[in-house]
Amino acid sequence: MPTGSPKFKRAAYDAALSSSAPVTREDAPVWEITLWPNRSLGRTGFRVTMAIAALGFAIPVLPFVWAGGFWVLLPFVLVAFVALGLAFKANNRHGQMREHVCLWKDLIAVERHEINGQIKRWSCNPYWMRTKLVADGGPVDNYLTLIGSDREIELGAFLSPEERLELLADIEAAIKRLGQHYAS
Amino acid sequence: MANAATHDVDDHARPGFFTRWFMSTNHKDIGILYLFTAATVGFISVCLTVYMRMELMNPGVQYMCEEGARFFSQAEVGECTPNGHLWNVMITYHGVLMMFFVVIPALFGGFGNYFMPLMIGAPDMAFPRLNNLSFWLYVCGTALGVASLFAPGGNGQAGSGVGWILVPPLSTTEGGYSMDLAIFAVHVSGASSILGAINMITTFLNMRAPGMTLHKTPLFAWSIFVTAFLILLSLPVLAGAITMLLTDRNFGTTFFDPAGGGDPVLYQHLLWFFGHPEVYMIIVPGFGIISHVISTFSKKPIFGYLPMVYAMVAIGVLGFVVWAHHMYTVGMSTTQQSYFMLATMVIAVPTGIKVFSWIATMWGGSISFKTPMLWAMGFLFLFTVGGVTGVVLSQAALDRAYHDTYYVVAHFHYVMSLGAIFCIFAGIYYWFAKMSGRQYPEWAGKVHFYMMFVGANLTFFPQHFLGRNGMPRRYLDYPEAFAQWNYLSSIGAFISFASFIFFIGIVFYTLRWGKKVTEPAYWGEHAETLEWTLPNPPPEHTFETLPKQADWDKSGH
Repeated sequence: MPTGSPKFKRAAYDAALSSSAPVTREDAPVWEITLWPNRSLGRTGFRVTMAIAALGFAIPVLPFVWAGGFWVLLPFVLVAFVALGLAFKANNRHGQMREHVCLWKDLIAVERHEINGQIKRWSCNPYWMRTKLVADGGPVDNYLTLIGSDREIELGAFLSPEERLELLADIEAAIKRLGQHYAS
Repeated sequence: MANAATHDVDDHARPGFFTRWFMSTNHKDIGILYLFTAATVGFISVCLTVYMRMELMNPGVQYMCEEGARFFSQAEVGECTPNGHLWNVMITYHGVLMMFFVVIPALFGGFGNYFMPLMIGAPDMAFPRLNNLSFWLYVCGTALGVASLFAPGGNGQAGSGVGWILVPPLSTTEGGYSMDLAIFAVHVSGASSILGAINMITTFLNMRAPGMTLHKTPLFAWSIFVTAFLILLSLPVLAGAITMLLTDRNFGTTFFDPAGGGDPVLYQHLLWFFGHPEVYMIIVPGFGIISHVISTFSKKPIFGYLPMVYAMVAIGVLGFVVWAHHMYTVGMSTTQQSYFMLATMVIAVPTGIKVFSWIATMWGGSISFKTPMLWAMGFLFLFTVGGVTGVVLSQAALDRAYHDTYYVVAHFHYVMSLGAIFCIFAGIYYWFAKMSGRQYPEWAGKVHFYMMFVGANLTFFPQHFLGRNGMPRRYLDYPEAFAQWNYLSSIGAFISFASFIFFIGIVFYTLRWGKKVTEPAYWGEHAETLEWTLPNPPPEHTFETLPKQADWDKSGH
């Protein structure tokens, strides 16, 4: 969930972060993963929903096209229809948050794409990076954070707790493999 | 980058009273607010009915006098001039409040808000702040409605006496501004419901836990979704219709005035296009609650999950194409009447699927008659009785005789008042400890049920007889010949009212001194939906972690 917990103070960090430069590397990362919040209705589902709504709205309006009052009915019905569409758009937009993790031999970089277009970045040397998992009592169960470059960042707070466990295992495995990868 | 919040873990300060209850964006708090507000408005609305039944208890007019409304002592013979306006105001506000401000807010706003997101594993509603706006618009609409009751209206008295459907020309010619306030009340509550419905639809479709497909979503969540769609599609039509009323009243338009080329029957078409789905908005969330209650207390999964879902969808769809059965007598052609009659009878099929599936759920189950189950049984009986008279009334020819008689009053009170109210009580007793953390005394819940069941049946069953004998609706007085059944009906109303007072006592007793319940699934393992995995009451932020499939997918439908 993008909302996670708003209790902590982000503003001070934000200023410092938005200035951090994007990581530019010529070589492809050894391992990468993209995380996003769950949205259960796909594009088709959205279209079907809107089509059903349009059909439903047409039943009361069409018979009255020639009767008095059509022009009073129409705006109310249109507003409701448009509002439904906009609601889905807004909800899907909240679901567009992305977290992108890239791992190289000497660098791990996390890019967080906020829904307002802001990109927040963090990177450090994986050798010095630590992971922390707070099973209970965090903002969410199995709260996962990465510590490095004097900062602690949260990762995948919008995922399910099981998914965060898997994510942690994947990250640790990838880092373990680093040595073998570059040796060969 | 979201910097980690682990150092602030203990910093979850409890919000203050004002912040929590006035600025809440938490779906559970808003649900509680809806329930309490609806109960308060319900109490007002019930008081009006008690006053009406006092008046109807004996032939002649004893309380609603031109000389002044009396409450405690009957007027002497010859001392009382009947005050028809007061009577009309009573039936109008009983209807308006119950239809718009009590039952839908309780079932859809209250239980829907509280339990739908929990059941589908969503962290909250899709738009928490919009949810708060919906609630306060509803309060605002309620305030306008109650203000309308006391504002200057027709006949030089307070309030409007036009009936809850606000039918023109009555509503367009009613004096004073009480009627305008009533229209605004319906407008505002309509806006609230539409916003709420959009929120529910988005939440239900877009925020389900991973793996929870539509065919695995619990029945109550489905029922709320169907209701939300009914609200979304029909309330804009009502808003249009009453806007025309408003302009007819105040700006000289003649949408419903034949003198200016308008058509009063047009209003009835628009109103009932909304009005028939409205009665399903009232009962469908109840279907959802009853399914869970019956399954829990029969210790069996619900029989025929998919047919139950599609029966609700079918009832919702059919609800949009039968509206004119409320107005057989306005002069439609025989062909039109046959269509509406047949379409109406078809509704008995999905409804029958539901009733038989509930019975099949109990069949061979190990049934325990705890309070919620008693209410569910009561619902099943009353709703079936109301459904049977509904099929009778659907006959256009028979309706000629029954139109505007007490038979109709008995019918719709059996399905809506008793059906829906019994669902509300079933839901309250089922989830009371989940919401409050405290359990009511079982004996008290049972006493409440038996009082209400006897009282409600005593009130409304005799009204079938009155209707068949030809007693018309909406009158202050009646001939001597109808005295006996009216007397019994009034006794029933007083018993029901007493049970309601007793219920209020139960609620306050339980909230203060009720036994604390810590077991999350306190009704046993057959209460399988996600809310039963949470502590009582659930913490303020639930499912910031998404639940896993094993939590809710136990039976593997």
